[in-house]
Amino acid sequence: MSVMIESFDLTRKFGNRTAVEDLNIQVNKGWILGFLGPNGAGKTTTIRMLAGIITPTRGYAVVAGIRTDKEVERLHEVIGLLTESPGFYERLTARENLLYFARFYDIDANSQVDKYLKKMDLWERRNDKVGTFSKGMKQRLALARALVHKPEVLFLDEPTAGLDPKSAKEVRELIMKLKEEERTIFLSTHNLEEAELLCNQIAVFRTRLVTLDTSHNLRNLLFQRQVIVELEAVNEKIISTVKSLDFVLNVAKDGKQLIIELRDFDKNRPELVRCIVESNGKIRSVFEKKHSLEEIYLTLIKEEGVGA
Amino acid sequence: MKEGKAQMRKRIINIIGKEWKSTFINLNSALFITLLPLMITVQALILIYLVLKFAGAEVLVKTLLGKGMETWLIIFPELEELHLIERFQVFFFAQFPFYLLLIPIMVSVSFATFSIVEEKQTRTLEPLLATPVRTWELLFGKALAGVLPSLLITWFCAGLFLIGITWMGSGHLLEFVLNAQWFISLFLLVPLFSLLAFMLGVIASSRANDPKTAQNIAVIIVLPILAIVGMQLIGFTVFISARLFVLSITMGILNFFVLCVAVRLFQRESIVVRWR
Repeated sequence: MSVMIESFDLTRKFGNRTAVEDLNIQVNKGWILGFLGPNGAGKTTTIRMLAGIITPTRGYAVVAGIRTDKEVERLHEVIGLLTESPGFYERLTARENLLYFARFYDIDANSQVDKYLKKMDLWERRNDKVGTFSKGMKQRLALARALVHKPEVLFLDEPTAGLDPKSAKEVRELIMKLKEEERTIFLSTHNLEEAELLCNQIAVFRTRLVTLDTSHNLRNLLFQRQVIVELEAVNEKIISTVKSLDFVLNVAKDGKQLIIELRDFDKNRPELVRCIVESNGKIRSVFEKKHSLEEIYLTLIKEEGVGA
Repeated sequence: MKEGKAQMRKRIINIIGKEWKSTFINLNSALFITLLPLMITVQALILIYLVLKFAGAEVLVKTLLGKGMETWLIIFPELEELHLIERFQVFFFAQFPFYLLLIPIMVSVSFATFSIVEEKQTRTLEPLLATPVRTWELLFGKALAGVLPSLLITWFCAGLFLIGITWMGSGHLLEFVLNAQWFISLFLLVPLFSLLAFMLGVIASSRANDPKTAQNIAVIIVLPILAIVGMQLIGFTVFISARLFVLSITMGILNFFVLCVAVRLFQRESIVVRWR
């Protein structure tokens, strides 16, 4: 699998302040990388460096095989950028705006613009001034602008920020479609559900890369897997039986539920259930407690903050 | 190589087309760019007409303008064959090319400030900088979009002024008005001042967040022009061809330095990081 985005000790300073420090990442072709971090963590600076808009103070990045600090114009032929605020010329129509941007590329601008206006469900409003558009429509138009030249790599900076739930869902669906088209996407977001839903990998970032992995692996890395056993009634006999098992690390009672931390989760869970049944426990349900990405993110950011 | 040049030309034409569309779609800027030059021209004609009609040449001789005329006659003795009133007419008509410099300055500053401040306000510069357009192409395209109409409007107004002179019944004086100074001013100083005004507009816009503030900063350039007109009117000096050449060369050098500053400011990095 070819690597489409790769950075090597990418660093950017503004005076004495370090915005991004020694960032090393790799994103494979057709993958979506979720780039998470608090406000002011350096996410937009990272995107600007990867998109060749600003140069790194140290280190470098290669996107679609092109050095982002050396061949900026060639890089811009193959990348699409959705900026944090979808800036448009408000007095020009949607079509005029898209045509203006599309004509900077070596493409059939008219047909591509019409294609993406239809694709983004903006065809009926193509001759309306952008100033009359809702935020969601502007965001769809900004996506059309980022896609009009068929880029191999897309940088999306907070694509659903400030959108109402319906518009945010529409944008997410569009990103899902892009994923199906095998575009490589670098997605900076605050929305953790969105990141979990769309991304192959999650990078948690706060000036430095805190971690980079799949959300599944991050969960396992940070939290001991827990099983929740819901019973008709919980008594001391059941609790002491569970506690006596050598693979049980911790037991907590919450009403009619037992929350149990296990070693070798998949191997020992059936044995745990058998022991509870033998102690006359009447089980209603057994399920694994799933930590949300939000919990993972907050834990990582907290650890990073303490460390820093 | 040829393909690269064609692409470059295509991108610059694209910028010019968009600039003109955005500017002329905005009623304020469209009126400012078209009506103001016409008003300046018509006002000059009316003013000359009224002064000569109601003040009379004899009265003018006793004013500071009389001193200006004396100096003028030393340099252009051929005017002595004219009637006193006609001498003053030529004297006033000859000031117009300098007065006319106000037009390219105002039009260019307007284009620069409307265009760049709009980009800042609508936050379109960053997506623009993510396209293959080079920053110099963007600046050059914007400069052409501003300077070309300012030249055309200025030359149109100069033509209108000459028609006005003829219409006022002073067509026979045109041989004294259309001298080397007139053409140097129109075809050398007007483009140089236009370009300088545009660059100052860019520089001012990089710091200002609304067109009015940017224009206020940039129109400082108007002051030396008014000083030139004032100095000639009171006979302090006369800008003969040689002095106009020196002024043009000075303007050329100044343009070069201001261009360097504008290009330095108009870099991807500066626009994204420093422009607020």
